[in-house]
Amino acid sequence: MSDSTTSPATAKARVSRRAFLGGSATIVALFALDAAPVTAMARALAASAPTDGGIINGWIQINADNSVTVAFGGAEMGQGILTGLAQAAAEELMVAWSQVRTQAAPTAQAYITGGSYGIRANFQKMRVAGAQAREVLVAAAAAIWGIAPSACAVADGVITNPTTGATLTYAQLAKDAATRTPSATPTLTAAGAFRLVGRTMPRLDLPSKVDGSAVFGIDVRLPGMVHAAVRNCPTIGGTLARTPATPSGAIAVVPLGDAVAVVASNTWAAFRAAEKLSVSWTTPTTASQLSSALITSQAQTLMVSGTPGSPAAEQIGDAASAYSSAATRIEATYQLPYLPHVCMEVLNCTASVTSTSCEVWVPTQAANWVQATAMAVTGLPASAITVHPTLLGGGLGRKIEQDYVKQALMVAKAIGRPVKLTWRREEDLSHDQYRPMGLVRVRLGADGSGALRSLAVRTVAPSPLFQRGWMAPTGNDNVEGAEGLPYAIPNRLVEYVRHPAPVPVGFWRSVGNSINCFAVESAIDEMASALRIDPLTFRRSMLAGDARTLAVLDRAATDLGWSSPAPAGMGRGLAISNGFGSIVALAVEVSQPSPGVMRVNRVAAAVDCGYAVNPGQVESQLEGGIIQGIGSAMWGQTTFSRGVASSRNFSNTRMLLMRETPAITVSILQSGMDKLGGIGEVGVPPAAPALANAWFRLTGNRLRTLPFFPGANRMDD
Amino acid sequence: MAAMTYNVNGRTYQFDADPGMPLLWVIRDIIGLTGTKYGCGVEICGACTVWIDGSPEKSCDMRAAEGVGVRITTVEGLAATPVGIRLQQAFIDCQAPQCGYCQSGMLMAAARLVNRNARPTDAQIDSALGNICACGTYPRVKRAIKKATGQLA
Repeated sequence: MSDSTTSPATAKARVSRRAFLGGSATIVALFALDAAPVTAMARALAASAPTDGGIINGWIQINADNSVTVAFGGAEMGQGILTGLAQAAAEELMVAWSQVRTQAAPTAQAYITGGSYGIRANFQKMRVAGAQAREVLVAAAAAIWGIAPSACAVADGVITNPTTGATLTYAQLAKDAATRTPSATPTLTAAGAFRLVGRTMPRLDLPSKVDGSAVFGIDVRLPGMVHAAVRNCPTIGGTLARTPATPSGAIAVVPLGDAVAVVASNTWAAFRAAEKLSVSWTTPTTASQLSSALITSQAQTLMVSGTPGSPAAEQIGDAASAYSSAATRIEATYQLPYLPHVCMEVLNCTASVTSTSCEVWVPTQAANWVQATAMAVTGLPASAITVHPTLLGGGLGRKIEQDYVKQALMVAKAIGRPVKLTWRREEDLSHDQYRPMGLVRVRLGADGSGALRSLAVRTVAPSPLFQRGWMAPTGNDNVEGAEGLPYAIPNRLVEYVRHPAPVPVGFWRSVGNSINCFAVESAIDEMASALRIDPLTFRRSMLAGDARTLAVLDRAATDLGWSSPAPAGMGRGLAISNGFGSIVALAVEVSQPSPGVMRVNRVAAAVDCGYAVNPGQVESQLEGGIIQGIGSAMWGQTTFSRGVASSRNFSNTRMLLMRETPAITVSILQSGMDKLGGIGEVGVPPAAPALANAWFRLTGNRLRTLPFFPGANRMDD
Repeated sequence: MAAMTYNVNGRTYQFDADPGMPLLWVIRDIIGLTGTKYGCGVEICGACTVWIDGSPEKSCDMRAAEGVGVRITTVEGLAATPVGIRLQQAFIDCQAPQCGYCQSGMLMAAARLVNRNARPTDAQIDSALGNICACGTYPRVKRAIKKATGQLA
């Protein structure tokens, strides 16, 4: 057994404590706690944390060595959110960064990690949690010394009586403080006095990520654990016809409806047995018609004759008549593919189910949904279920889903032993819940002076919301990036037409922005070209009323050197994206080293996310988003033939490599903490249109279909 | 099944395994060192990179039997070498990892490069590190290698 896990036998004691903690979204009470950090993640992150007690208030625990442990209710999948939220709490706690530890919060305090909401929704909450803890600790010291709390000085978790010079540590005061009721409105540190917030504090999870000790879901090991691999029905909509016999060397075969699991003594044995298993599937009669060509042709029909969602996603003025009377008109239709998420850590989940309890160790963006899934599969109450969220080897929206969690729970329940279920890469890529394909028509009309008078966007795409039953048949989905554009355009119509294709679709980093930003920012560029206006000048002319976006655009253009001519053999392009409360502009420079091959040489990114809690992480997220955006634009797609996905492995799912990565600069503009925006997703959307616009300037060829180079999608060593 | 003896990070491990099992899964499931990652199983992504007698190999496509009689080094053993320690610190200093899943393989490839070439150029780093990173840590990994080799101011 690895020391990174806890035995199921200890689960029950934790359950009761978790139930006790449950429901307190913000801290209103402190109470003593004398247990060790319990999750695999906590062990990975806080291996040196003391285990002999302290206090906790639902978010903050004071440890015996005067370190503090901050509970983390989200998913750390590389975006640095664990560190950002710890900065908020530690700032107000007035401790040194070296005193900070983290551990996963109880499930009831978990939040869904998506929509780039981590900092936006929790930054202030974690400041309040830290300030409350500090105030009761100070109150305890003040009572001992018989002085006013305001007379105490606090630094690095030590409280000083300035008159006598006496000191008390947080650890010495923890038990006393635990009996005190904190203020609902504690005094927060003034922004000008921040020591940790607003600075590039080193990430708390990184030491464990350079020495192999970080525990991702796939690394969980339990005593007596067996291993499962899955074969999902290759055909969309298909189901298992009958349960195959258990092959020799395997422990069990478990039917899972649209999949079958094989259980063996190690991962490889399970993989091999699953691969070789002879399985009969019942496939729907319509599957033979489910192909990318047909889906595209249906989208073309829907573009013309489909019924848009009602009311329209955005309707301002009369876009149609402004378009028909425009001096210059652009109509262009852009086509985008289904996209797999491609997390480096394949889907996996470890579960242990008994008649009275259930534990799940899983890389998830939605620990509370995992609990609900476990309740549904096991029939046990929430109080009997413990979820241990682990580090995620990438999430990207895929690990919000419950398919792999449900499978692991079903297998664990069927075999009565702890089991880790792992998807082979081939299953992971061919059974994704893909970014929807899309067909987007953009109509732009400009008057005789070159001013844009009308914008009409019609997006035809399958709906993740509708597929989940979260949206009415006439609702709008996938319109982010088309509605609410920053440009001054007096007449606008943004419509959504739902495509009924049954390919499972989900939430892919930046959701609708990844579809519409490509179409809209390409069309804006096409109009600038038609008007023979520089694309920067054209965009600037429509941003006089939006100082933030204008500043971001100007910064990116300046950073690239837009005002000087592009070097010979280079083409330049721009794109803007407003999403998740933040504004991003990219200015890029591309070349064509050989016919039909695009090389991205430089990217200048500018972002205004209101306030950068950790500027280094803002930079990292922009770099990473841009790199993902470039690779996806070049080669990313999954196609379907007779209901079967094309994506298999990296052999036909090409990823950008280091040698293909451009020089990237990131400028951060901060227009105020009251405008706090998200950062995890915003780098992705503008990459594709900026590249297409640059390619047009370089070659004269307009790229309206993603990916740009579908025939170059192969990778091998 | 066959009885085998491995030398991993200077320690000796004795176990029974199917000789056909990939080295990756011997290291992860039998020996229990989970820093070495499964990413593709087809020798492309590099997440499973380990050293065999000091030379980087993708462990997903080696058989268990090939691990006998050689010195295996995984990311857990990297800190035993001065170059490994310098690189680990530089990866932290440059805040290179994001999700971190591919970083073991990146570090093993980087350390091998620096062991052979004390001051690698950008082009040499590009060539030696063909590892896939879905988070896009490439610029920072490259910067970290330059830092670890004293090439950053």
